[in-house]
Amino acid sequence: MINIQNVSKVFNAGRPNEFTALLSISLEIHLQEATILKGPSGSGKTTLLSLIGCMARPTSGRIFVNEKEITSLPERFLTRIRRETFGFIFQRFNLLRGFSALENVMAPAYPTGEKYSLLKRRALDLLAMLDLDHKQGAKSEWLSGGEAQRVAIARALIHDPAIIIADEPTAHLDAKLSAEFLSIMEILKKEGKTLIIASHDPLIYDSTLTGRIVEIHGGELAHGGTIA
Amino acid sequence: MRRSTLYITISSTLLFVSLFFGVFSVVKIKQSHEVDFRMGRLVRELDLTDLALFTEAGYTRHLSQTDFTTPFQDSPMSFEHFPSGSFVAPPAHLRGGHVKNH
Amino acid sequence: MSKTIERQLHLVDFTIGSVLRRKGKNAALLLVYTLVIFALASVLFFTRALRTQAASVLKNAPEIIVQRTLTGRYQFIPVRYADSIKNIRGIIAIKPRLWGYYYDGGFGANYTLIASGVDSLKPGTIAIGSAIVKLRKLQIGDIVPFTGSDGNPQTFTIAKILSDESALVSADLVVITEADYRALSGIPAGYATDLVLTVRNPREYSTIAEKISRLLPDTRPIVKTEILRTYDAVFSWRAGIMLLVLAGAVLAFFIFSFDKATGLSAEERKEIGVLKAIGWETSDVLAMKFWEGIALSLTAFFLGTILGYAHVFLGGGLFFAPILKGWSTLYPSFVLTPHINFGDIIALFFLSVVPYTVSTITPAWRVATIDPDSVMR
Repeated sequence: MINIQNVSKVFNAGRPNEFTALLSISLEIHLQEATILKGPSGSGKTTLLSLIGCMARPTSGRIFVNEKEITSLPERFLTRIRRETFGFIFQRFNLLRGFSALENVMAPAYPTGEKYSLLKRRALDLLAMLDLDHKQGAKSEWLSGGEAQRVAIARALIHDPAIIIADEPTAHLDAKLSAEFLSIMEILKKEGKTLIIASHDPLIYDSTLTGRIVEIHGGELAHGGTIA
Repeated sequence: MRRSTLYITISSTLLFVSLFFGVFSVVKIKQSHEVDFRMGRLVRELDLTDLALFTEAGYTRHLSQTDFTTPFQDSPMSFEHFPSGSFVAPPAHLRGGHVKNH
Repeated sequence: MSKTIERQLHLVDFTIGSVLRRKGKNAALLLVYTLVIFALASVLFFTRALRTQAASVLKNAPEIIVQRTLTGRYQFIPVRYADSIKNIRGIIAIKPRLWGYYYDGGFGANYTLIASGVDSLKPGTIAIGSAIVKLRKLQIGDIVPFTGSDGNPQTFTIAKILSDESALVSADLVVITEADYRALSGIPAGYATDLVLTVRNPREYSTIAEKISRLLPDTRPIVKTEILRTYDAVFSWRAGIMLLVLAGAVLAFFIFSFDKATGLSAEERKEIGVLKAIGWETSDVLAMKFWEGIALSLTAFFLGTILGYAHVFLGGGLFFAPILKGWSTLYPSFVLTPHINFGDIIALFFLSVVPYTVSTITPAWRVATIDPDSVMR
């Protein structure tokens, strides 16, 4: 379980452009189900995802992942947890330009010093699972939107993380590719992974994938207070 | 081939060539003792004082024997022997060696 | 242990991939960097080897030379001057030296004529240096005309050719008997070009030199240590062209480093953000930047140094030849012994590798420590 206690995030504190992205969010996210963060753009979904996924620290409040507090960890450990526990799929995929699909999938594991042949094998298997093994050598900028997204998913899975986080995954996809994305997510959920997806696409939150919907408006939970 | 393997191969080759040159140097230096000895003997026989590096003018040919006025030569139109003149500063003993001013 | 190595190998994979994204620019950079190091290394190797050989050879030079000056100019020295100084303690022998220049207008060459008492040389014959042989395409037995000081021609037969390996000291020499030289040059009897003193103890050089200056005030003693110092200063960094080469190289390194040090582009920043977001720590990013700096500068260093070595010691310094020849028509071929000084190489390493690598890492430092969260936006 992911336990978020009274978390706030303020950007540019003390300066004229001070901005509160999240205000006193308290929330429990259950594992092995799909939680959708729903809300208009600018509501703080991305910020919340970022905090859950150990990409930033809250200004105040605490976050626990399986009863281990992550908010006060030094960067080293935070990175390790991020790497081992979470897999990120960014809104704009953020693939490394100039590198092949295969290298993009392998890249997150470079710092671990894992044996090259093993890592390559695993990356190829992931690409094969997503029907992309024939494109493993293609440079990332030459991939189509759907292909790029699947590479992004494969990359997120390279460490076999327990939790997948996706930020507006269907924002730049057509209906067909969105449906494809959903079916991949279904497979992952069946494998027992936890999914946290920020989306204002009805295709996502109205699907059978969805376990629970959390609504966010203007940095606060829509229904106020703690949601069990 | 994996990129890092290629890089290591290239770097190793360069390193190897460097080491080879190192060994080459050692061998050549050993051989040079004889050559230097023979040259030294010639220097002693003929009482030579300078290397025949820049033979175009007296003050560039016999650097150590040069006196104060040679570079000035005789005429304002006589040109500096470039680039030889720019390779060598006036010898130390002219710039305040043990020789007292005349 | 192997994990550490494998990690570095992965980072190198990434770095090279990153560098290859801009093949043209980085290839050009590598080329120019190598060229600069090549030039600098060539110069370092050449001058160091020359100076080392000079010292080794010229330690056989005469201990003290006594030269006479009049009206501030070089004059013949009366041989009887030897009597005034022969009793100075420490002087073992004094003998007159006869030598001078001869300008050969036909070939634009300046010969150094030197009279020698070497037994094997018969009157009417000369021994000549290898550069003269090359210039005039001469061989043993050929007859060479000279014009005497009286305007009349005198001919000499070539009896011996001085070895090519001794060219550094003998390339332009014409060795001639004393009698022949006096007849040719017009140096009057009782006079010589200068006096050569044999002194055993080097510590006595300056004392003796001072005494000579006092006893013979119109003379100037030149001591062996000064000769050696002169050649140690040859191609000194403080003189003309060498300073230009050094300054040029330093400027080049500065420009390369400056380009890196002025910071990362927005694209590079974003990429570092992505790397952090996918699980790279700050130390991983910096290690990668380190490899980026090293990959270029270290490769260029080795390549440039190796090429410089080959150029000087295998190629006879062929790019230097035109510069060194200058106006002279007689010059030695530079077959130098590879006397390498490690200090030179280390200095070159520090100059070429350290600033560039530091400039590659430093701008990334700040960016690498920022939270990857900015990437999400």
